[in-house]
Amino acid sequence: MSTVVNFENLWCVFEHRSGQLVHALEDVNFRVDPGEFVCVVGRSGHGKTTLLRVLAGLQPPTAGAVKLGETAVTGPGSDRAMVFQQDTVFPWLHVKENVEFGLRANKLPEDERNEITDYWLQAVGLEEFADSWPRELSGGMRKRVALASAMAVGSDVVLMDEPFGSLDYFTRRNLHEVLLNLWFETKKTIFFVTHDIEEALILADRVILLAEGKLVDDIAVTLPRPRNEDVRATPEAVGIFKLILAHLGITEEEATQA
Amino acid sequence: MTTTDSDVLNVRAAAHRARRRSKIAYTLYLILGLVVFFLIWQLIASPISPLFYLIPPPVDAVKHFAENLMFSQRMVDRFVHACPELLDELEITGGGMFDLPDYCFGYILHLVRTTRNIMIAVTLGTVFGLTVGLSSLVFPRIADVVTPIAGFFGTTPIFIAAPFFVIWFGIEYPLMTTVGVVVFYTTLLMYFFSRRAADNIPVGIIESALTLGGDRGSIFRWVYLPGTIPEIAGGFRIALAGAWGLGTLVEVLGPQMGGGFLIRMWSFAMGLLEGPSAVVSLILFFGVLAVVVDGILVLFIRYITRWSEAGRRLGL
Ligand SMILES: Nc1ncnc2c1ncn2[C@@H]1O[C@H](COP(=O)(O)OP(=O)(O)OP(=O)(O)O)[C@@H](O)[C@H]1O
Ligand SMILES: [Mg+2]
Repeated sequence: MSTVVNFENLWCVFEHRSGQLVHALEDVNFRVDPGEFVCVVGRSGHGKTTLLRVLAGLQPPTAGAVKLGETAVTGPGSDRAMVFQQDTVFPWLHVKENVEFGLRANKLPEDERNEITDYWLQAVGLEEFADSWPRELSGGMRKRVALASAMAVGSDVVLMDEPFGSLDYFTRRNLHEVLLNLWFETKKTIFFVTHDIEEALILADRVILLAEGKLVDDIAVTLPRPRNEDVRATPEAVGIFKLILAHLGITEEEATQA
Repeated sequence: MTTTDSDVLNVRAAAHRARRRSKIAYTLYLILGLVVFFLIWQLIASPISPLFYLIPPPVDAVKHFAENLMFSQRMVDRFVHACPELLDELEITGGGMFDLPDYCFGYILHLVRTTRNIMIAVTLGTVFGLTVGLSSLVFPRIADVVTPIAGFFGTTPIFIAAPFFVIWFGIEYPLMTTVGVVVFYTTLLMYFFSRRAADNIPVGIIESALTLGGDRGSIFRWVYLPGTIPEIAGGFRIALAGAWGLGTLVEVLGPQMGGGFLIRMWSFAMGLLEGPSAVVSLILFFGVLAVVVDGILVLFIRYITRWSEAGRRLGL
């Protein structure tokens, strides 16, 4: 658990069909220490997914680099497992085989694979569904499969792109708890994209704010854990909440109206 | 009022009954459809129809088939040289033509031969097409080379290409002709189907596999291979269905053997009372065979794709 992640002068520019250039990321610089829980927050279309995709190695940057330690990211790899916004569970594999995929790809022997898979299935509370097909699970359960799959490969860095965006409030809260427990145990570095400020306050050590591709603020969230309702009602928490709102260009009236 | 477990069980039982009723209804409609089909057939074949001298009544066709399956006098009279099996038998026994067992003069050898050839050809074509198609997923360069060529031949309607096979291999190599055409056609079809099936796997799933450490080998084994099965299986059904028609068509054109050859033999004798019955009975045979094989195939496909939505609907 020792990889520092460095974003260095990162640019990512897309050319749209009209010929118009879109600066999805514009000169982004920041450094993340091992074991940090980083939430990336921003409005829709402001570069959050792009940031994660560059880090995952799925999107080459236009300029600059993302470095793990001293090495620049050049492609995807199991050292940066990712949980996607959309459903990416393999429908043709049983739940257990889904979680096993990364371990198989990394050619672990069978008994080791079984042990790790069982552990993570239990961690996300799906041990009873090991032999089910994904179609037999609810949306939240499938997200847990994706989470277990990403955790099981054993990478130091885990990327999550609005993983719980489509879930109801209670399922989300439940999965927040699951995720935080896993994080406490493993101390992985987690990059978590969300546009939900409350979610960021529950999870993050640190909030990276993106607006129109630029890093506009980097806020340390030092609230005590667990971040229950009381903690989130403290003046400090409310202060951070308002700060983020202001950065996103949302006035308080707008926020209360919404 | 509260709902108890026994209420729930009652509802389930009712649903079960409804399902069984709909199955029975399905079967009844199927039978009804067949009855209507045969009635219309009977009508067209009746003396009031202008086509009656061309179309025999169903009973005649079936009777002809049954009578000629194991031994056919016409084959003895006219076309004994037709079937390669006969020549093989003659060589083994060293005897004369009339020392051969009766079944050598029946339809049976020809029909078995066509069925076998088509099965072999479809299997070979599927193996070729899938080998190239699936390996092109691991080595994209293969697709760069093969796709334009396959595209060129794919745009040539196979029914136009078929006569050329007959010319190339002539009637001396009947196996090459029938099997050749069907292999050619199945290979192309399965190549395209495997490519398309792979294209339809969501990019997100491939990307997810990549970030989980998937390399060419593991993504092929655990993503492409299982993920393309439903469409490949669908393509295989289409290939097989087409192969029955194509295989017999080629036999009608050239080779001196097989079910298609029997059809040709009789088509020169349409003036005889038996001619139309013979042709119709042979067409009927291949139709029924194709439907039965397809039905078995569907059951198998349902089993191997039971992970999919279709599997859910079928309660597998
Ligand atoms: N492959 C691409 N080609 C062209 N433009 C792209 C591509 N990917 C992203 N963009 C553009 O880059 C900008 C940032 O997109 P991105 O997906 O990073 O936004 P986001 O912050 O994740 O938004 P959301 O919250 O809606 O998911 C958008 O304007 C988008 O149109
Ligand atoms: Mg996004």
